[in-house]
Amino acid sequence: MTDSEIIRQIVQGDRNLYRKLVEQYQPIVFRTCIGFLHHKDDADDLTQDVFIQAYQTLSAFKGDASFSTWIYRIAVNASLNKIRKSSRNQFLQRLETVFGGEKNKEYSFPISDNENPENILILNEYKEWVQKALNSLPENQRTAIVLSKYDDLPQKEIAEIMNTTEGAVEALIQRAKANLREKLSSLKKKSKK
Amino acid sequence: MPEGIRIQVETHLGECKACAESFQLVSLANKVIDAEKELKSNPFLVTRIMSGIEELEQNRESHQRIPGYQRILRPALISVSIAAAIFIGVLVGNIYLPTQSINKLPVEMTYMNDAALESVDLFSQL
Repeated sequence: MTDSEIIRQIVQGDRNLYRKLVEQYQPIVFRTCIGFLHHKDDADDLTQDVFIQAYQTLSAFKGDASFSTWIYRIAVNASLNKIRKSSRNQFLQRLETVFGGEKNKEYSFPISDNENPENILILNEYKEWVQKALNSLPENQRTAIVLSKYDDLPQKEIAEIMNTTEGAVEALIQRAKANLREKLSSLKKKSKK
Repeated sequence: MPEGIRIQVETHLGECKACAESFQLVSLANKVIDAEKELKSNPFLVTRIMSGIEELEQNRESHQRIPGYQRILRPALISVSIAAAIFIGVLVGNIYLPTQSINKLPVEMTYMNDAALESVDLFSQL
């Protein structure tokens, strides 16, 4: 059964079929959300919101693009909205941590048996730099680099999701990489001081 | 990467400190991204999503079962009742008058003996 047929049946009333779509596309939506949010629990919650939002607007899905392109667009927009909202709440979050609020549980690098503990510390510190560098990118560059690096999508598909040309996507990715290198370099210099 | 180019790149990285540093930064960034990609979502996420949708549908159905006029009329009537209760309370409070005992003498006055009071004329005659 194709995605379009499944969607047609869901719109007609067989909502249990939606589970099939969720099971199939949940990993890619989660990976996209992780690319933007860098936090597992937040990515889980956002993935849930994305699929509920997709369900509510399923009748608007015309089939012009593939369902995966459509769900990627919803995931990207939801992630960017979440980031914009959280940047407004940053002041309140900082107050919360000052008064003993629980800091966001972050993941650490998976430890392998032969990994040097010093290396793990370095990698965890470096993780923060990389996340800071990614978070500092403009929205369109960030979207392009997340879809390219986290979802391993070809430029043609990224262009379809972002509603732009392949050339524009390539330019965005190159600029994003250059900005990332610059930011990481400056963060490294700051840490040495 | 073709072997020839790979050797050239490695040679250059061995000679150029800036490029070597840049390459190290990018390699570590890729390591971080690869680690994040390995993260797995909550195993019960699909169940959570389907429960969320089920709840959504139930709310939609119960909302549709309540007739339109009830959805507007009930809150309107409640608001009007509260406003009326406040108004009546204020009105009753204004009608109430405390009992005024105009004819009642203060207790201290009963202890005064007018006959024992000295006449003011006595002082004028002096």
